[in-house]
Amino acid sequence: MTITRTLRRSALAAVAVTAAVVMTACSSAGGGVSAGTGTGTINVWAHQGQDSENAALQAAVDGFNKSQGKVTAKLRLISGDTYTTTITSTPKNQLPDVLEIDGPTLASFVYNDKLAPLSDYVAKGTISNATPGSVAEGTSGGKLYGLAMYDSAMGLYGNKKLLDAAGVTHPTSFDSAWTPDQFAAALKALSAADPSGKALDLNESGLSGEWGTYGFAPLVQSAGGNLIKNGKSVGMLDSSASVKALADFATWKPYTDPNADGNAFVDGRVGVAWGGHWNYPVFSKALGSDLVVMPLPNMGQGAKAGAGSWTWGVGSGTKNGKAAGLFVDYLLNDKNVTAMTQANGAPPATKSAFTADTLYQTGGALALWGEQLAHACAADAITKDCLAVYRPVTAGYPTITSKFAGSLSAVWGGADPKKSLTSAANAIDQNFADNNGFK
Amino acid sequence: MASPVSTPMRTLIIARAPRRRRWRDTRDGVLMSLPAILGLVAFVAVPFIAAIVLSLYNVQVDQARAPKFWGLTNYARLFTDPVVSASFLRSLVNNFVFAIVVIPVQTGLALLLAVLLNRKLKGVRFFRTFFFMPVVFPMALVAVIWRLILDRSPSGLLNSAVGFVTGGSVPAHDWLGSAATALGSVILLSIWQGVGFQMVILLAALQEIPEERYEAARLDRANGWQQFVNVTAPGIRNTLIFVVLLTTILAFRVYDQVFILIRTAGANEGATQTLLYNATQAIYSENNLGRASSISVVLFLIIVIITLIQRRVLRQRSEG
Repeated sequence: MTITRTLRRSALAAVAVTAAVVMTACSSAGGGVSAGTGTGTINVWAHQGQDSENAALQAAVDGFNKSQGKVTAKLRLISGDTYTTTITSTPKNQLPDVLEIDGPTLASFVYNDKLAPLSDYVAKGTISNATPGSVAEGTSGGKLYGLAMYDSAMGLYGNKKLLDAAGVTHPTSFDSAWTPDQFAAALKALSAADPSGKALDLNESGLSGEWGTYGFAPLVQSAGGNLIKNGKSVGMLDSSASVKALADFATWKPYTDPNADGNAFVDGRVGVAWGGHWNYPVFSKALGSDLVVMPLPNMGQGAKAGAGSWTWGVGSGTKNGKAAGLFVDYLLNDKNVTAMTQANGAPPATKSAFTADTLYQTGGALALWGEQLAHACAADAITKDCLAVYRPVTAGYPTITSKFAGSLSAVWGGADPKKSLTSAANAIDQNFADNNGFK
Repeated sequence: MASPVSTPMRTLIIARAPRRRRWRDTRDGVLMSLPAILGLVAFVAVPFIAAIVLSLYNVQVDQARAPKFWGLTNYARLFTDPVVSASFLRSLVNNFVFAIVVIPVQTGLALLLAVLLNRKLKGVRFFRTFFFMPVVFPMALVAVIWRLILDRSPSGLLNSAVGFVTGGSVPAHDWLGSAATALGSVILLSIWQGVGFQMVILLAALQEIPEERYEAARLDRANGWQQFVNVTAPGIRNTLIFVVLLTTILAFRVYDQVFILIRTAGANEGATQTLLYNATQAIYSENNLGRASSISVVLFLIIVIITLIQRRVLRQRSEG
């Protein structure tokens, strides 16, 4: 085929059109936050959680609209699996006025200018009523960008009937948490006593996602290691403590039920489940008084647990910051927070609702995990007596969680922990270097 | 064979049409093809060129700061950087292994099925429908179903079948998690899903072969195998080449089943990751648009080179 003049011209035209489109697409849209008049319609985006959570959220939105006539809030639910990706790909001038954010991803949204500082729009009373954990999770670069309705609590669930039948004594406090050897022995005894031959369910199909980091980074931290320190991962993530933690973790595989149908614990196929507050409604309904909660294994430096959950922030492209702030104030009042935490069993993230929540106070079924949250710390400030550790607040978190969870999954599949963690640490450090430490 | 149009008439036809009519023809032609060309430019050319441009930058999706120009750093990293190239080269190997196994096996199986089902037996229509059914299912659904079949617990379908056949002497195997069998499992379910499609195409080609040739072969006392080699194979040659080309391109686009099995079923990531999986993970998990673009450009180049080689080696011949 010969290159005719027409062909050359049309090729040039195509390239010109393409270049023009790419240039306009790449230029950032202008416009920033404005307080607005405090009236009108605001858009609210949230992730689609369990049915009960969605209902509670919709009730809160309806209650807000009924309680005053100046602002109307419109709720939009987006699938939870792709929620963070959706927000990442949405340009900031198309973001809603109020949006939910997965706690650990908050810093990377602040880095990309997608959130507005809350202190200008949210009442001081709301901010002072937030638990320290909620404030820590929502603060990036010294400014507050998010406040949460609920926090999260996780640990081990146990089936008392199966534990007693196998003759296993289970820990009831953090001081008596299982060491790795004791845990392995308990799993062995439970497997021997169980007809299915398995003892543990740790939701292994979700290990390569956020569950891996949330549920199992505490093991690394409990052993004395960490995901990252001072912006460097090499030396921390692949330290001998971290490697040992994952090596012990891999030894539990023979006792673990793959749990393809998700009912291993409620059906009694396993005696111990690695879970959190979101399992509590279903588990307590199935097991009743046989349900016990326990701390995670103590890998050396004291048992640790994960914490942090979804928070609420104001989009940086909002034209109605005042109205958005009014909505956040209403959302975080005791009535709505209590209704939400009743629906999903989560610990409240406001001081007034937390002290009133019977589930997490002394005598409640999840009091042990409530104690965790009362002794919480940030990932870069772990002390000996802190129990719940929030995930690192850094704009490089997406790579940290992707590499760690990938490592975890690989180690579960039989890979060498040292090699796997070293390559993960190198990848994280390279990502930080490429982005100048995310300053 | 002599051309039906003799030389003097051909000179007349080639006489050029008047200028104005030529311009009108060109203009009408451009106008009529404009919607399709706009669509091609907007949905194929623009993203294609954008990918090439973006792969030269260090850029995140929708980032607030200006992107850094990096030249060919992304490409150099894919092949030489110890951190990045390990998984990229592994996924390259996985794609090639997948292609090398799937193309002959799936095509051979499809050809076998097509030959078997190209008879006028009672109930052959039922079998044709039956073998074509997996093609109707989306690959994501197939992956979810096979995840249950390949479940590593002793009560998983495949494990219990193996246990039943061997009388319990073979222990339950982690088909998806173990590095040795993970890619094989993915290949198995991909072939299961795709063989019906090729079978139907080859069946149509088989039915184009005139029955007289088989009669002539039988008269010459050719047995079944000789008939296959000398009548069937040449008759479906063009279709077979087309099917092989199509399967090659599809084999490099493996994504749905790999994504679902790795992210939700605990499949061994190292053993099953593919180039497309790497590219989408670079975006969704690490927000690295530059790297994802460079992977997709490399994938495009690989497919183009392989397609050109195949077209060179297997030239389609016209009939007669």
